[in-house]
Amino acid sequence: MVLEVRGITKRFGGIQALTDVTFQVGKGEVFGLIGPNGAGKTTMFNIITSMFPPTMGEVIFMGKKLTGLKPHEVTEAGVCRTFQNIRLFPEMTVLENVTVGQHCRTKSGVWSSVFRTGAQKQEEKSIREKALELLRLVGLEELQDTFADNLAYGQQRRLEIARALASDPKLLLLDEPAAGMNESETKDLFDLIQNIKKLGITVLLIEHDMPLVMRICDRLIVLNFGKEIAQGTPEEIKNNPEVIEAYLGREEEEDLA
Amino acid sequence: MLAELINPYYLQVLSFILINIILGVSIYITLSTGQLSLGHAGFMGIGAYASAILTLDYHMPLVVGIVVGAILAGIVGLCIGIPTLRLQGVYLAIATLGFGEVIRVLFINLEGLTKGAVGISSIPHIGRELVKGLQDFGFKASMIGLKNNQLISLSVFLLLLIITLLIIAFFIRQTNSRVGRAFAAIKMDERAAEAMGVNITYYKVLAFAQGAMVAGFAGALFAHVTAYISPADFSYHRAVEILIFAIFGGSEVIWGPIFGAAFLTAMPEILREVNEYRYMIYGVLLVVMMAFRPQGLIDTQMIYKLKQRRKKKGVS
Repeated sequence: MVLEVRGITKRFGGIQALTDVTFQVGKGEVFGLIGPNGAGKTTMFNIITSMFPPTMGEVIFMGKKLTGLKPHEVTEAGVCRTFQNIRLFPEMTVLENVTVGQHCRTKSGVWSSVFRTGAQKQEEKSIREKALELLRLVGLEELQDTFADNLAYGQQRRLEIARALASDPKLLLLDEPAAGMNESETKDLFDLIQNIKKLGITVLLIEHDMPLVMRICDRLIVLNFGKEIAQGTPEEIKNNPEVIEAYLGREEEEDLA
Repeated sequence: MLAELINPYYLQVLSFILINIILGVSIYITLSTGQLSLGHAGFMGIGAYASAILTLDYHMPLVVGIVVGAILAGIVGLCIGIPTLRLQGVYLAIATLGFGEVIRVLFINLEGLTKGAVGISSIPHIGRELVKGLQDFGFKASMIGLKNNQLISLSVFLLLLIITLLIIAFFIRQTNSRVGRAFAAIKMDERAAEAMGVNITYYKVLAFAQGAMVAGFAGALFAHVTAYISPADFSYHRAVEILIFAIFGGSEVIWGPIFGAAFLTAMPEILREVNEYRYMIYGVLLVVMMAFRPQGLIDTQMIYKLKQRRKKKGVS
């Protein structure tokens, strides 16, 4: 198992955001995390990446406990994420954004940077090469010198994925990557996730675009009001009456009849 | 010919411009991780007093005094930087402002060490020490057709120029590196930087301590250039003045505060009549800048455009 989420509960004051959620993600899987708005999906991401601690439960990643680590230590361990409300570094160029993603895999400090040691120069060169390679993967190579702020929405989403990939994650967390994308952009995203999967990276995906989720995910968990209501393959989920109820509501006619 | 051109007064003004540029760089470093400090006058004072006391009372060489002064300011910066890590924006400004005042009051009240409000005078002068050193090697001002006080001013200026250039080069290189990118990422979005694997605690404290150390260094140089310091030199006015360098010139790129420091130090010298209204002008500048160009005169976009233009020229 790459990721084991064990009995996660999160309370914010009086609000119960997550209640005893447990799931496992195997190596190389694309695992979907779906549910209506406010179901606690992003809260789950924030807990996995240690942005804040859970009230109860723990997160184990490749045998290592993530709960209690600092966010940058989680990234170092091999878990990286994107954000639902895009959080790029706006006044950096596209290329620079991706180089920041490599921060925890590189080690030049103040002195080697100031004295431009051989090792530092070598490292800068490889950082640049790797960043360009990732930009090629997400199709933003041409725009490397543009400020991130000036990119179109779909391009910003892809840049966030490239930046996250730069940290060499074993597990990639994508928070609504298709939000606001048109049909052709969504198709490109589908191909991109396929390619990421081919690189041997496990993907945990929050997404509202159901056709995309059903096509790309190997397994899914469905949350509603912070509780698991179903878990299984896309086929099983599609036919689960509780899931249908959560998304579409109860069929009133039946009640009347 | 050369002798007529070298006017000790102008050289003194130029030397103060260089010290203020170093102060501008010190606030830039701290600001480059998004931390707004009003404590830099305090750090400057620590460097100045430490070096003055070490050289005067303990007869240490100037170099030792200046280096220890800078390091001490850096250590105090560490001690202030760690507990104030959680403070953001205006709250950090208030906390560091309080720190600066505490330091100033300490200078006034630790009379045994600092001579209180009267200040410390006849601090060893960098220029005189340098010229004395040159004389020991058998070099005299008259040998290049200068008067002794001209050579003193000239040597101070040249030494400060070299130091300033080295400091600027140091931080330009740091900015264009993994460390500088981490600083910039923290400034733009702390949560995102953290999620990308940047240890924000380390880099924020590093930037704060570096800023404090450079300010302390500038303070130590200041003490040995003016030869007289008092607590009033490191008051709230000084903290605001340093901040204005960055606000006027811009804090996004290192050239901003450098330009700000140079321009604002030279201005009252060139326009003699305005000197009296200096703080009034600072106030007006603050309001105007915030309203029309909050990022300062020199910003990232401007440097970017200049670079693009140079690139184009290189191609054609």
